[in-house]
Amino acid sequence: MSDVKLENTKAQMRKGILELCVLSIISKEASYPTDIINELKEAKLIVVEGTLYPLLNRLKDASLLEYNWRESKSGPPRKYYQITESGQDFLSSLKETWEDLNLAVNYSQSKIKQNEQNS
Amino acid sequence: MNKTVSINLGGYPFHINEDAFEYVHQYLESIRNHFSASDGCDEILYDIEVRMAELFQEHLKGRTIVSMKEVDEVVQVMGKPEDFGAEPLEQPTYQQNRDKSFKKGSIKTGKRLFRDPDDQKLAGVCSGISAYFGIDDPVWVRLIFVLFTFFGGFGVMTYLVLWFIVPEAVTSSDKLAMKGEPTTVENIAKKVEEEINELGDKISEWGKEFGSKKKRHR
Repeated sequence: MSDVKLENTKAQMRKGILELCVLSIISKEASYPTDIINELKEAKLIVVEGTLYPLLNRLKDASLLEYNWRESKSGPPRKYYQITESGQDFLSSLKETWEDLNLAVNYSQSKIKQNEQNS
Repeated sequence: MNKTVSINLGGYPFHINEDAFEYVHQYLESIRNHFSASDGCDEILYDIEVRMAELFQEHLKGRTIVSMKEVDEVVQVMGKPEDFGAEPLEQPTYQQNRDKSFKKGSIKTGKRLFRDPDDQKLAGVCSGISAYFGIDDPVWVRLIFVLFTFFGGFGVMTYLVLWFIVPEAVTSSDKLAMKGEPTTVENIAKKVEEEINELGDKISEWGKEFGSKKKRHR
């Protein structure tokens, strides 16, 4: 039972920062979903690819992303996603939150370590 | 020898074995069902199809026919419907177990007391009770409550308490549980269909009423 819960928690954590990572990948340059997937896979952030598409769709509907079509040599035209202005704002405030969280986690972990050493 | 089907997946042409085609079809349908509520459903599906087509090309490495093996590999990469939060594809063993559990007297265990909002004088307590005990006409239960009110005055109190305690049957599965029909997919579908028909009738009734009111106003 505890295994199931652990997986759930991990998935929730991943889900939360997935938006941040997708937006920051796209903010570097306009990207094709396959490129985004490859980067996310390298970072071990995504387990199955299919879940990226609903996320991109959601971000697009929230006008944080937009896309345009580019011709491709090997098949039909491809969608390239790029970040919008409001997407940039969203991303920078997400980044701030992430840094705060990061500090909080590091702080609480170092406290625990200190306590262990003292005792 | 295998029959193949030619398909257009996200703009790429493929020849695919019939069994593999069936599987891909089911897979996409189950994802479509899951996203059918959201606006971007078609778009999400299209993006997934394009990606699957790319993956098929990668996995085929120049071969021409997509078989079950490639489909399995690609579904592994894309994720199963349950990874999207959708219903898992039905597997034969799972189906059998489910059928068995339904046969084990699920009618008795499935029955619960609800208030019936479709047949109510006040709050549907009496019709809920008559559905629970399988009495055809709730008028008898109502009569008992009325009699109790005159002889001793317990009727009103009991009614109010039941009103407070017993939940209203809101969803289709509640209504089935109220009447004691087992909650199977077919039964819910039947119930929903009934309700849609009823709604259609009501709307046409309103239409008529509205029409006659208009006439009266003239």
